[in-house]
Amino acid sequence: MKVAFLLNDLQLSGGVGVVVQHARELALRHGHDVTLVLVREQEAAPWQFDGLAHLHVEGLDDARATRFDVAVATWWETVYSLFELDAERYVHFVQSLEDRFYERGTAERAAAETVLDLPVAFVTEARWIADTLARIRPEAPCLYVRNGIDKTVFDSPAQLDVRVEEPLRIVVEGNPDVWFKGVHEAIGCVAAMREPHRLTVVTGDASKVDAAAADRVVGPLTHREMARVYADSDVVLKLSRVEGMFGPPLEGFHMGATCVVAPVTGYDEYIEHGWNGLVVDWDDMEGTTRALDLLARDRRLLTFLRANALETARAWPTWEQSGTFMAAALERIRRDPPPTAYAGARQLAADQLLALDTQRHTMHARDEFRRLAKPALRLKRTGAWRVLRRLREHPRMQPVWTLLRPLTRRLRAKLTG
Amino acid sequence: MPDWHERITDDTRPSIRAEHALRYAVAAPLIRASARWCDLGCGSGLAAADALGDAAYEGRALLVDRAAETAERAAAAVPARDAVALAADLADADGVAAVRAALADGDGPLCVTCLETIHQLADFAPLVALLSELAAEPGCSVVLSVPNDAYWSLEREHAATSWGEGAVEELRSLLPADQRVLHQVALAGSALLPAGERAEGSASFALAPGVPSHVVVAFGAGVEQLCAPAPAAAVAQADVEAQRRWERQRESDLLHSAAAIAALERRLAACETAPAAAPAEVSDAPAAGGQA
Repeated sequence: MKVAFLLNDLQLSGGVGVVVQHARELALRHGHDVTLVLVREQEAAPWQFDGLAHLHVEGLDDARATRFDVAVATWWETVYSLFELDAERYVHFVQSLEDRFYERGTAERAAAETVLDLPVAFVTEARWIADTLARIRPEAPCLYVRNGIDKTVFDSPAQLDVRVEEPLRIVVEGNPDVWFKGVHEAIGCVAAMREPHRLTVVTGDASKVDAAAADRVVGPLTHREMARVYADSDVVLKLSRVEGMFGPPLEGFHMGATCVVAPVTGYDEYIEHGWNGLVVDWDDMEGTTRALDLLARDRRLLTFLRANALETARAWPTWEQSGTFMAAALERIRRDPPPTAYAGARQLAADQLLALDTQRHTMHARDEFRRLAKPALRLKRTGAWRVLRRLREHPRMQPVWTLLRPLTRRLRAKLTG
Repeated sequence: MPDWHERITDDTRPSIRAEHALRYAVAAPLIRASARWCDLGCGSGLAAADALGDAAYEGRALLVDRAAETAERAAAAVPARDAVALAADLADADGVAAVRAALADGDGPLCVTCLETIHQLADFAPLVALLSELAAEPGCSVVLSVPNDAYWSLEREHAATSWGEGAVEELRSLLPADQRVLHQVALAGSALLPAGERAEGSASFALAPGVPSHVVVAFGAGVEQLCAPAPAAAVAQADVEAQRRWERQRESDLLHSAAAIAALERRLAACETAPAAAPAEVSDAPAAGGQA
């Protein structure tokens, strides 16, 4: 089977790593001819993922000349290039509902929503995504294929290294610049702990984390280095607000660490509160700190959770098994008739209307703001305003402005409505 | 090493035999109603033979196993008038193609059983495709089962893949939508009877959702009959003496193997530390001319 996976780039990220793993398994173990199609101009050299050597990597222009059996979009932006390829079947591999990565009212959010309405077959890695797709696109085929774990890298210990006396070893992982990763919140919860602990923060850019807040700040790390950090930890603390399949705690499980997490999408794929980890409430910083203190104090509970986490990890599929499910899924999609051109049309029309309404609302709000700000803008263009501004910034005038502050506040309120 | 876990033999623990036989018993009405029956990964055929009972199966049975002699043993064990053995590796596209070809040579309603087989295959994609393909044929029903790793604390050395709730969901998303899913749960119990007497026992018990030991997925024609209207259960009296013997044998085999490995390691260490003594240790080796 000739398969194309469409990617924006081959830079280091969890999502790209998953696609490369599947592509590699399909090529090496199932004999498929797999091409990674890069839909954007590449600005940086690709990350050296394992197994890239077994795959063809092409730009979109070159790939247009090839007839594929199955073409798979792997990120919402790549769906816009999907139908430019000549393929028997079109698939969208959904790793998260990607509209949630963008603020409400942004164009990207609406665009990431509407790509789910196109007449394609879906493959997804998480049950919550499969359930959501079944609700919004009940007629669309949706196959469920979990991500595997590289068990040669996340090589579980035969026996748990039980630690009863040392400070609790906590690891926080993620990009602190990304709002939904909750890295700063997690570091704050650890800082508020009363019990002895040791915090390791793993991040791509150490300069973004207050070095004093952690015992160790490391990164970026390879998977193998990450596995060593997890093996040296008792707890993975992760307070993300958006996740697809929620891989990091699972990698920690493989190395014998339990987790403290928020109930983010994907957590229930494998985390069970009180069995292999602790699930804390949203925004409950104090509760999270208490959970960590509890684990630091109650080493019997910690050992119970860690032992069960390791057991959970043992039952998780390898990339070989996951690749077999992906091969079976693509085979089934190729065998079945394609969705009709009208599939999803109703949802597409509804989403377009919603996007139109949102845009109209945004434009209206902007016009209204402009109308209200008009007197203020006119005033700012006068010579008197410029003189006033110079006086406002003059050091000797500051006590006067302080006395006049209630008056200026009232005036500003009147001008801006 | 005794093949004690996956192949059902006369020495298999009674509870495991009962559990295997129950799956075949549930499929038996579908098998008997079909002109053709294909058992994929048939093993020794003992569980199927138990479930089908003494009455002969009038249709044609195709018994498929990786080992030719096992398939032949199964063909001899099942009470079918026309039983054919086929050796095929179901983890391989060629093996699956051989099954497809064997099934093409016949007509009439078909029942396919594939019980406790998929988890033993490193690549089950060709087999899953075949099962879906067969289920699309009119009058064809498929019954398959997989173990639930969350139930089995024992390491399953024959399993090539991991199976639990998630993997079953993945598998189900690949199969035709008209599925019937059954959870097989373990029973534990006890009975009292007058000493030295034989008796037929019967019991009524409540069943509730719990961690299944196995999941049975059936699809295709007539599968709504499975376990309808009541659940199916099988109880076998535990042969405590046989079970104790079985467990002791396993433990003593492990002890023996551990001791044998330790002895070999000692010999190896001795060879490494005293190279001069090495020729004496290998004095059983054939001479250069090929004679010991």
